[in-house]
Amino acid sequence: MASKNKKYIYGIFDDAGSVLGSVKKLRSQGVDIHDCYTPFPVHGLEAAMGIKRSNLTVGAFICGAIGCLTAIVFQLYVMVGDWPMIIGGKPNDAYYPSFIPVTFELTILFTAFGMGILFFIRTKMVHGKVEDLVDLRQTDDLFVVAIEEKSSHFDKEAVNRTLIAEGALEIREREYNK
Amino acid sequence: MSYESPIREPLVTGGKTAGDVTADICRPLEGKTTKLWWLGFGLAVICLCILVYTLAISSFRGLGMWGINKTVGWAWDITNFVFWVGIGHAGTLISAILLLFRQKWRMSINRSAEAMTIFAVMCAAIFPLFHMGRVWIGPIWALPLPNALGSLWVNFNSPLLWDVFAISTYFSVSLLFWYLGMIPDLATIRDRATTPIRKFMYRFFSMGWNGSARTWARYEVVSLILAGISTPLVLSVHTIVSMDFATSVIPGWHTTIFPPYFVAGAIFSGFGMVLTLLIIARKVLKLESYITIGHLDAMCRVILLTGSMVGLAYITEFFIAWYSGVEYERYAFLNRMAGPYWWAYWSMMTCNVISPQLFWVKSWRRNPNFIFFMSIIVNIGMWFERFVIIVTSLHRDYLPSSWVMYSPTPTEIGIFIGTFGLFFTFFFLFARFLPVINMAEVKSILPHKPHADSHEEVHTPQ
Repeated sequence: MASKNKKYIYGIFDDAGSVLGSVKKLRSQGVDIHDCYTPFPVHGLEAAMGIKRSNLTVGAFICGAIGCLTAIVFQLYVMVGDWPMIIGGKPNDAYYPSFIPVTFELTILFTAFGMGILFFIRTKMVHGKVEDLVDLRQTDDLFVVAIEEKSSHFDKEAVNRTLIAEGALEIREREYNK
Repeated sequence: MSYESPIREPLVTGGKTAGDVTADICRPLEGKTTKLWWLGFGLAVICLCILVYTLAISSFRGLGMWGINKTVGWAWDITNFVFWVGIGHAGTLISAILLLFRQKWRMSINRSAEAMTIFAVMCAAIFPLFHMGRVWIGPIWALPLPNALGSLWVNFNSPLLWDVFAISTYFSVSLLFWYLGMIPDLATIRDRATTPIRKFMYRFFSMGWNGSARTWARYEVVSLILAGISTPLVLSVHTIVSMDFATSVIPGWHTTIFPPYFVAGAIFSGFGMVLTLLIIARKVLKLESYITIGHLDAMCRVILLTGSMVGLAYITEFFIAWYSGVEYERYAFLNRMAGPYWWAYWSMMTCNVISPQLFWVKSWRRNPNFIFFMSIIVNIGMWFERFVIIVTSLHRDYLPSSWVMYSPTPTEIGIFIGTFGLFFTFFFLFARFLPVINMAEVKSILPHKPHADSHEEVHTPQ
């Protein structure tokens, strides 16, 4: 979440409404929000922070299309190409309706797993990754607003004042030098 | 005349805060193992041992250990397969379809219902797998079989093969959905962990989750798409299960009503099982504030709806058998009703058609003891439905000289009891080590503190 040689200010809240309020206030004052950490998805927060809608849906569609094509090509290869079965003298084209269930299932399978994998890649989540937390209770009942202290025209006092006015319980600072 | 809609009951009672939610739901998995847990787990493991034993003798001595014969080739095995797959359907219905319908009451029951789905599908898979006979060469059959003319593939025209794809896709997608939904909660437990082993295990599975708003935004998109694709998936699975029967030429199976009828039946039986489990779990794990009487009421309404659909399907099937004028079809249905298996048919009719109608009475829908009893009745009824469809359609086939009766052998009964062992072993482990309620989602439906100068309403997730 944080990169090297950067300073962050964290406002800690105990209420989702205050987080949303302070994010809106800070943004209206021209302060960029680095990130927020919340125990549950606060709706409207990503819009307030200015996060664009994720394009994972496009990835999901592509994965689904690959699954669909794989199923069709494979079934055609098996049933029409490699070992055509003649059942009641019917032409091989007669098989197409019976390919639908497997095509459908593979489309879903590829969509689900493709999208799951893309999600983990995009969010850099991996098994056993050590979490980077501001407060242990940010996954329980506390909400954190993280603001990066940028060198130029950054009014730390103003940010602190806004956070307190919006109901922050605590304000913390942290520097990453590693 | 005007109708004033009543104010909805709160979904979480007792004025809980987000912190209370975490504490209440983590309590069973952070406290000491109770004697009751050991008792239940022990019983489940004993049944699991029965499963291992009966499956071993079915494999070593062959399917002669089962009561199936030349005429009745499918019997308890496929009955139990359909029974377990059906039970699994409630989990996906709750987590996917109710998510799309924006039903917030699903939030405190979806986790355990999804767990139930996964364990039930595992139980289901055992039956067709062992019905193949030589189960150890099962994986080889999936590969092209070399012979004199080239290599012989599986037959994609066969509904049995579609079923393999449907069930395995269903199992793996459900598992992914369940796991993905659990990651934020695993992180919560990780951050409360006091011992290094717990910390390590929950850290491993929570994948570095820290509740970042950017991750949540993507996570919400993924959940929505997964729900969107799981909805047709869950409908397709029992549709394809029904095609195992409906695409055949057996009177009593060869009907186009099967797909919707099976799906309704699956949801009906699934909710029966969810109620059986949750009525006990809410009591034992002290979760009455989260799984309220209102939740039970809502589930009873689903049972009432799907039970009525199933009843309608039975009657339609009967009518069409008569209306079709097909002699064999007519006989198959008369034989169901008044033949040697009449008791199975009437058990099915009583349990599935008459009994869910009792849920029209509101006070009965809100009585946990009554619901618990009824949920067992529903499960018995749905088991009989599959037995009736499979065995009574087969045992008197086109050729009267091959008419037989079927009865299960101790091995088959053992396998069935054993699958309950497998199911409950996993369920007890789940209740001990994983959060049984989706904490993150439940926190999002708690009432928020009003914010002084923000007039924007805080939107809760769907």
